[in-house]
Amino acid sequence: MHTDIETSPLRREPVAPQAVGQLPVEPKIDLLPLGRRAYSVLITLLYIFLLLPILIIVFASFSPDQRNTYALSNASLHWYREFFASNNFTSAFQFSLWLALVAAVLATIIGFITAYGIVRFTGRGRNLAQSLVMLPMMVPHILISLSLLLLLTVLPLMELSALIIGHVLICLPFTIAGIIASLEGVDPDLEAAAWTLGAPRWRVMVEVTLPLIAPGVLSALIFAFIISFGDVYIALFLSGPGVTTLPVEIFSYIQWESSPVIAAITTLQIVLIVLFGLFVERLVGLRTAMRL
Amino acid sequence: MIRDPEARTGAFASILLSPITVLYLLFLLAPISYFLAVSFFKYSPAELFIPGFTTENYSRLLFDSYYRNVIYSTFRIAAVVTVISLVFAYALAYFLARMTSGWRSLLMFLIVAPLMTGIIVRTYGWIVLLGSDGLINRLMMLVGLIAAPVELLHREGTVIVALVHIMLPYMVFPIFSSLTSQDRHLVPAASTLGARPLRAFLEVTLPLSRSGIVMGSALVFTLTAGSVVTPQLLGGRDVTMMGQTIYNLVLSTFNWPLGAAVAALLVLTQFLVISLYFRKTRGAH
Repeated sequence: MHTDIETSPLRREPVAPQAVGQLPVEPKIDLLPLGRRAYSVLITLLYIFLLLPILIIVFASFSPDQRNTYALSNASLHWYREFFASNNFTSAFQFSLWLALVAAVLATIIGFITAYGIVRFTGRGRNLAQSLVMLPMMVPHILISLSLLLLLTVLPLMELSALIIGHVLICLPFTIAGIIASLEGVDPDLEAAAWTLGAPRWRVMVEVTLPLIAPGVLSALIFAFIISFGDVYIALFLSGPGVTTLPVEIFSYIQWESSPVIAAITTLQIVLIVLFGLFVERLVGLRTAMRL
Repeated sequence: MIRDPEARTGAFASILLSPITVLYLLFLLAPISYFLAVSFFKYSPAELFIPGFTTENYSRLLFDSYYRNVIYSTFRIAAVVTVISLVFAYALAYFLARMTSGWRSLLMFLIVAPLMTGIIVRTYGWIVLLGSDGLINRLMMLVGLIAAPVELLHREGTVIVALVHIMLPYMVFPIFSSLTSQDRHLVPAASTLGARPLRAFLEVTLPLSRSGIVMGSALVFTLTAGSVVTPQLLGGRDVTMMGQTIYNLVLSTFNWPLGAAVAALLVLTQFLVISLYFRKTRGAH
């Protein structure tokens, strides 16, 4: 016997037939003891709480003097000039950009190869493989950083290579997971067709699959860049003279003093990151990229 | 000649999976194991540490009241931050999950955006906000609550507020996912059967979002327990957490064995929390 939810006698009101992907009409729900109005106020306050600490930096960066003023009437670019004139901050900024680019490219290449191997060839061991790959996320980053520092006393590595390796390690879980998600949308028959027609496996991977998931790979790359650029824990112990990233430079500076020059630098950083974020959002959607 | 798509792929698969295997073994598992082994070594001011086997670092952590306090306050702060984040994140996630308008993706982006700026930026935002000439102090003086700026930094409360700010997004998304994956007919069904909205929430929505709650909480607890930068910058000398202790032991007193012992305790807790998470969510699926 076929009962349809639309004509079920349990329903008090008929529900309009849904279009594909549309949700049924929501019943009026109030969250817990809060009324609708109180709930809206709470949500608004939470958004202010989330965004204010970041917006305040942008305002403070235009202060005309040492004290943070938030009036835009006497805004000045003084601290931005200060930043461009300061050697240590500009070189740290450049170094951070360079490091993030190198780490992101490496993490994306290794991530693509690994994701492809996991999705296409692990079969029943896939869940285990996918969990193992997440390992760098499961240990505190400070521990990864310290272990690599300890490794430097044993292996004749350079500090810089340890820093790059550390950044690749923390980016990998994100690039792998992101690319796995994109690979799931690829029809295996397309690969099988190319393979049947005589293409070797690596050519199928690079010439058939890779172009199909290009947006996913690009967003993994940008995302790895963002993670590497914002990292402070890995770089905390692996920085040295000439190899200091911007977040570490800022950290060691604001431990002792505070100046709006930091606000100017972080504002530039925020603008850069938000632009990248919007780009990823356009490509594949941020939540997909972040695996959240 | 026709090739079989199902042909053996063993060799190619091992080529694909070898880079990550080498990378993880050589630069993650081996160094971390060695570092944890150092926690059983003897401390020596001259050569950092002397290989051997001693449990004195651990006994010092457990019996020295200073370190006991550090461990205790770390887990206390992590627990408080987790609970506060959970309540607020649930409200946000519920709101986003129930939204149907086109604003949703923008509001989602506003939650992710702070996450991408990095820990230093968000911590610095609180320094600007709470400093002696910061916005909060100015507002309070404007209203007449206080006559002179108050020291708002270097308090445990400040560290907790900033950590909640940092961790909130990590909690929102797992809960959001578990809310949106629920069958949308369940709550209407419950109300049809006479459940009041509150009861429908408590008996249908909340239990079904358990996996998101557990995942978010595990994530936030472990990230908070391992934080270094935020307590160091906002808490100053008065608030000490394990991450800070490791940082100071290694970089200023060069006591690697003791620092490694603190780290080992941190990792142990982390794995306990994660295994708890896996046990809990296996039951859910």
